[in-house]
Amino acid sequence: MTAMTIERVRAFNGLDVLVARDEGLFAAEGLDLRIAPAVGDAPSTADGTLTQPVSVQGSLMDRGEAAMFQG
Amino acid sequence: MVVCAGLVVRPGSDIFTPQELANRMVALDYGNGTAYAGLQMLEGAMPREAITTCAATVNSGDRLDAVLRGEVEATVLQEPWITIAEKKGCRVVSTTFFHGTWVADPSVSAETYAAFVRGVTRAVRRINADKRRYVSYFIADFPGHPDVEKLTPDDFDLGRIQLKEPGPIPEAEARWAWEWMASWGVLEGAFDPRAQINAAMEREAHARAAVGLSA
Repeated sequence: MTAMTIERVRAFNGLDVLVARDEGLFAAEGLDLRIAPAVGDAPSTADGTLTQPVSVQGSLMDRGEAAMFQG
Repeated sequence: MVVCAGLVVRPGSDIFTPQELANRMVALDYGNGTAYAGLQMLEGAMPREAITTCAATVNSGDRLDAVLRGEVEATVLQEPWITIAEKKGCRVVSTTFFHGTWVADPSVSAETYAAFVRGVTRAVRRINADKRRYVSYFIADFPGHPDVEKLTPDDFDLGRIQLKEPGPIPEAEARWAWEWMASWGVLEGAFDPRAQINAAMEREAHARAAVGLSA
């Protein structure tokens, strides 16, 4: 079984991933898929600007704590 | 996954079309796909100089509250917040759909990504066969939130829940998205497909996935 951690998804952008995890579809493929919890110290997007946005997308991957994220 | 984004105004608003949001404040969670979907909905309805937006929290419930309090004219929501907004009497003046795109670091092998694609593909097939069965996931995402907990699966418009089996990113779409974002100053430089897409790994992963799915 290969383990892989991805950044958090919600149903609106990852219903397929959540169902695959819960119904054992990744496990059947030999994949132990783990979904990281929300970033606790996340900055607010309200502090960003259009050209300098503040987003946590990819932050766990940057820290080596997740191997994939959905952009 | 195909994400649905809805441009929402408060109950009783004098705004019925996206065009009427010209020079009116729209709250967007910059940096997230929903915000860019919002910009695209506005851009299709007015000159760029008439688009008026402000930075807002990524928390969709809080953005909806800001609309209801009249602090902004509109915002862009995803499910389950579009459904909640409608139940509160809000008007959806535009909807659009966009693909989520997976970004992988170099440690992810073609074999591992293929396993991921196979799992997701099988899930997409199950969900599409009975969407109503799975909409409870949208409710489960927000435990303890009173507006969300009032929802039942029958409240959801299944047309807003769209899933597509995963596939490689068409280079033309990636290029268009890059150049569109660069035109807004969000990205800099020219699109370089070799820097943005590991095409060999992508091809191998999807080829492996296809073999597994046909077995």
